[in-house]
Amino acid sequence: MAGVLLDNVAKIYPGGVNAVRGVSFAVPDGGLCVLVGPSGCGKSTLLRMVAGLETVTSGAISIGARVVNDIEPMARDIAMVFQNYALYPHMSVYDNMAYGLRNLKTPEPEISARVRDAARILELSDEMLKRKPRALSGGQRQRVAMGRAIVRKPAVFLFDEPLSNLDAKLRVQMRVEIRRLQRRLKTTALYVTHDQLEAMTLADMLVVMNAGRVEQVGAPLELYERPATTFVAGFLGSPPMNFLNGKIEAQGLARMENGEALAYDAGHFGPPIGADIIAGVRPERTSFAAGEDGLAFKLELVEELGLGRLVHGRVGAAPYAVALPPGAPLPPGETARLAIAAGDVHLFDGKSGVRL
Amino acid sequence: MEKRAIFSNRLLPYLLLAPQLAITLIFFYWPAAQAVKQSFFIEDAFGTTSTFVGFENYRTLLADPYYFKSMGTTLVFAAAVTALSLSLALLLATQADKSLRGAGLYRTLLIWPYAVAPAVAGVLWLFLFQPGLGLAARQLQRLGVDWNPLLNGAQAMTLVTLAAAWKQISYNFLFFLAGLQSIPKSLIEAAAIDGARPARRFWTIVFPLLSPTTFFLIVVNIVYVFFDTFGVIDAVTGGGPAKATETLVYKVFSDGRLGGDLGGSAAQSVILMLIVIALTSVQFRYVERKVTY
Repeated sequence: MAGVLLDNVAKIYPGGVNAVRGVSFAVPDGGLCVLVGPSGCGKSTLLRMVAGLETVTSGAISIGARVVNDIEPMARDIAMVFQNYALYPHMSVYDNMAYGLRNLKTPEPEISARVRDAARILELSDEMLKRKPRALSGGQRQRVAMGRAIVRKPAVFLFDEPLSNLDAKLRVQMRVEIRRLQRRLKTTALYVTHDQLEAMTLADMLVVMNAGRVEQVGAPLELYERPATTFVAGFLGSPPMNFLNGKIEAQGLARMENGEALAYDAGHFGPPIGADIIAGVRPERTSFAAGEDGLAFKLELVEELGLGRLVHGRVGAAPYAVALPPGAPLPPGETARLAIAAGDVHLFDGKSGVRL
Repeated sequence: MEKRAIFSNRLLPYLLLAPQLAITLIFFYWPAAQAVKQSFFIEDAFGTTSTFVGFENYRTLLADPYYFKSMGTTLVFAAAVTALSLSLALLLATQADKSLRGAGLYRTLLIWPYAVAPAVAGVLWLFLFQPGLGLAARQLQRLGVDWNPLLNGAQAMTLVTLAAAWKQISYNFLFFLAGLQSIPKSLIEAAAIDGARPARRFWTIVFPLLSPTTFFLIVVNIVYVFFDTFGVIDAVTGGGPAKATETLVYKVFSDGRLGGDLGGSAAQSVILMLIVIALTSVQFRYVERKVTY
């Protein structure tokens, strides 16, 4: 059992590509930390550095109390689940799971006990243990890959987009299983994904990355409620947050690009009058106003999701989506007014995109 | 989906195939049929008459201790060349698979020997190891080795083995390199995390995953040694000394062409033909549908 600490970790590839630029955060012992970001943001590189599969250009990575920068992967007390599962195709499922223990010269009876224990937890039958990986379905292979990780009882689990090769239904099911398993074993885990929904649902702690940097670290809901940047705000949540450009006209009032006014919670340190801002509003925190107040909205398209309906349109030139609960009435015509509570408006700096 | 061409004229497809079929028939089946036919005849010393003798040629051949000695020589030669060229090629391929500076150049250079004709390769090695003349031979003698492949059968065999294996390394290298590159990197990484050191990773993961390539190469190399090393042997030792390097193919040549025993030589060819057919069918049966690991 050990936490993971990253201190100003950077990775520059020999070609000069700066994949990770000074990342610092700490995963507490037993926590499940999800690294999320678009492809190419450096999250996989970071995970591979923790695994020891990539060298660390600068900074320090610690597992437990030990800095592991120069320690071989095998000595780091970690286990990794790969996106393509990386099961050894020429070995049976049993041998796949036993491979790591055999390398450690564990006595066969103990290997057998541990493999069967893991198989029971993951609901892999005895008959399945005898099969070769290619005779298994995607979901079963995923379980074997997890089994191979858990039999060794490592200090840290590393997951590199483990669910992206599964179909949507199985992904939801395995997501729940991974969470349950990690809770049960109380093993520290680092989990990389580009899927914000997977990230939100799995994480104790969410690290949002962009272009090699950490945008924000925190609990999923905290990030959702108070995104530190427009990037985080736009990345988390589906459909993503709506953004409208404008200027501060008075404390608590912004003038948007289309010339209409939007009220916001002034707070203690409101931006100066005249400052360029970006106002962010979640689609589900927007509804249609009955009267003639609120931003003018031009309706373009309605998507029926069953769970609700999604109304796409525009405010001025900017795209804007409104998420309605199921059965909520649509505006009668092509245009409508938006009802937005002042407390639901997030303000970001117009240039840097940092929360104000 | 299988693509099927539709021809309006029923003769056209046969016409299109005809050139290829003609070449195959004239240059492959006709000589083969001739050899089979000839193996049942004995010609007189001047080649003017030939007498049908049934299986007499085969009976003589199978009673001939030299034939079995030649068979043994061929097997030893095949095993040595295959083992040597495969293991060296695998070693080189694992090194070339590492991401190194200049890996491209290294690979290109390793492929070159394949473009050298067998006889030229033979002459090259002959010169290197010619006693009293060759660079390598002089070094060996300086080290106190009584090196003379012109007299010593084992040394002659070593020399043709080296020459034949050297020629084949490039080919084996290419296939091993391709095989290595088709093994997903994540498997090696998973094994590294699973606590396997490089040597163990190689023997427990990489080597078993290469087994289809290895098996294919073993068959191809045996076929090569059996049938394509004539040039090397002819240039280096001429089958000697005292028939120590006379392989089956070389014996066909020396008995038939030099010894004038066309019938016996034809019978040997027919047996070789059967061996090729057997090896090829092994290859088709197992290699084409892939070795299952």
